[in-house]
Amino acid sequence: MTNPTLLEIERSAPVPMWRQRCRIFFSNRLALASVIFLVLIGALCYLVPLLHPTNQTDAAAALLTPQNANPSMAHWLGTNAAGFDELGRIFYGGEYSLTLGLLAGFITIVVGTIYGMIAGFFAGVTDTVMMRLLDALLSIPYFFFLITLISLFGRSTTFLILSIGLTGWWGNARIIRGDALLIRGLEYSQASTAMGASKWHIIRRHVFPNSISNIVTVATFSVADAILFLSALGFLGLGIQLPQTDWGTMLQDGTSQLQSANYWWEVYPLAVIFILVVVSINYIGDALRDAFEVRLVER
Amino acid sequence: MLSYIVRRLLQSLVVLFIIIFITFSLPYLEPKGIYAPAYLALGSHATPLNLHLWAVAHGINRPFLVRFWEYLFNVFAHFNLGYSYQAGRPVWDILALYVPRTIWLALTSLILTCIIAIPLGIFQASRRNTVFDYSATGIAFVLYAMPSFLLCSLVLEYFGLHWPHLPVSPPAGVAPWLIFTDPGAFIMPIGCLTLLSVAGLSRFMRGTVLEVLVQDYIRTARAKGGSSRHVLFKHAFRNALGPIVTILGLSVPGLLGGAIVIETVFNYGGLGYETVNAALSGDVNVVLGITLLVSILTLLGNLLADIGLGIVNPRIRIEGTSR
Repeated sequence: MTNPTLLEIERSAPVPMWRQRCRIFFSNRLALASVIFLVLIGALCYLVPLLHPTNQTDAAAALLTPQNANPSMAHWLGTNAAGFDELGRIFYGGEYSLTLGLLAGFITIVVGTIYGMIAGFFAGVTDTVMMRLLDALLSIPYFFFLITLISLFGRSTTFLILSIGLTGWWGNARIIRGDALLIRGLEYSQASTAMGASKWHIIRRHVFPNSISNIVTVATFSVADAILFLSALGFLGLGIQLPQTDWGTMLQDGTSQLQSANYWWEVYPLAVIFILVVVSINYIGDALRDAFEVRLVER
Repeated sequence: MLSYIVRRLLQSLVVLFIIIFITFSLPYLEPKGIYAPAYLALGSHATPLNLHLWAVAHGINRPFLVRFWEYLFNVFAHFNLGYSYQAGRPVWDILALYVPRTIWLALTSLILTCIIAIPLGIFQASRRNTVFDYSATGIAFVLYAMPSFLLCSLVLEYFGLHWPHLPVSPPAGVAPWLIFTDPGAFIMPIGCLTLLSVAGLSRFMRGTVLEVLVQDYIRTARAKGGSSRHVLFKHAFRNALGPIVTILGLSVPGLLGGAIVIETVFNYGGLGYETVNAALSGDVNVVLGITLLVSILTLLGNLLADIGLGIVNPRIRIEGTSR
């Protein structure tokens, strides 16, 4: 088959944009593997505590099981210092880490998108005021701010989500504002304005759909960052409180014993899972960025 | 150039004012936040009446704006950051003790990061999709995904138990000149912080150089017969410098935030370590003072980055003056 004529090109139905992007995304084997891995871990974390419940909350009952026990048939990954089954605890803690990461990441992207869109689209004085405020927020070291917030307001699960979510959107807002500013100046937006479209219409029909690629990519990285920040808080003892737990707190409990005894099962399996989860999320973000890169779309 | 710097300085002052306002208002959102100094000074057995009397005597329960004005006046006119009721001495004394140590930690690792990450990123970009690139990217990905405390704990365990040739304990004492008398003790904290920031920066550097390498002027330079090293360092590197300078300026809060965890793991008395202590015990003045100081450092970092950007890229400073 030689070059199609102009007529044939017009007649053949256009491949939807999203399908092209999906194809590029899934042609990346590692990205596909990352998605499968995340789905698997997610399913395990949410289903195992339901289908095969192990005691993870009753500290008194856990004292009856041997503490820091070696891996055995009864406890596949041994038990931790409090006597909780380690494998069950990885999934139990993962439920909290993943949920918190997803929700906090979701908040950061929603708030960041709204803020960035408003600043970028309305430009002028609104933009200047909003960006100076953002500069101020970005200059307050994020982690110091987070610690202050949590020490002031306590560390209930809801508040952890809110404080990570409501302090994590500053960088996102700046990226999305840049996008909105750029798209607003492009010809199709200006043409829309000239034809009398309302501002809301332009945001909805032009600015938002055209910056969705950046929003999705940034959202992916936000989730990974939220999971990492939660783990750092867990390390400082500001994470989720007992009897619940999260991966950061568990890693801290495990590593704090490494100096005195080699209870490897309390650190390394979880560390590997944790790192793989964050690497997968970041890798998916990278692959999404490639998939949304227009220059790579097959024509 | 001068008017550009002045304009940026004025903007930074506005931003600084907003920062003070935000950090100062935070404790007001929660009742115990304002009374926290009273709790600290009187201990946990104080009666509500005593707490209230103490608060009145020390002017803690006066209106917000009055206190905000007083705080501003104290900070800018007297450089007075208040008094720590937990440590029983002025906040400045605490800062004077810890600031040099944290700056030393952060600055050394920032310099080391630049020395390692920038060439690494350039080489990765110029040899992209080779085994070298893949392995470096893979390691960076893993380091980037690793909670910093986990890396530190594993390093500490390895050097503490399996290969005990490096000192694992923090430098004894808090004097800043220990850097020169006891340099060995600084190797591990600085090494860990550097490793963590190299992961981020080299990845960023690789991306930036890759973007520059597909530009037309690089092709032109190649077509004119420039050697690949000449093209890489004279053309690609110079044009990738802009984003790098910006990201370095923006990395100050991240670096100091990373220092929180590193200082805590290695028991290295510094700003981060002190913040965690103060935040956990509700020592509001210390937290405010440290946040303020670190924010000023960050602003300075951004300012320097912007000025550096003006030097690296003439278009920016010319655009600035014409506006």
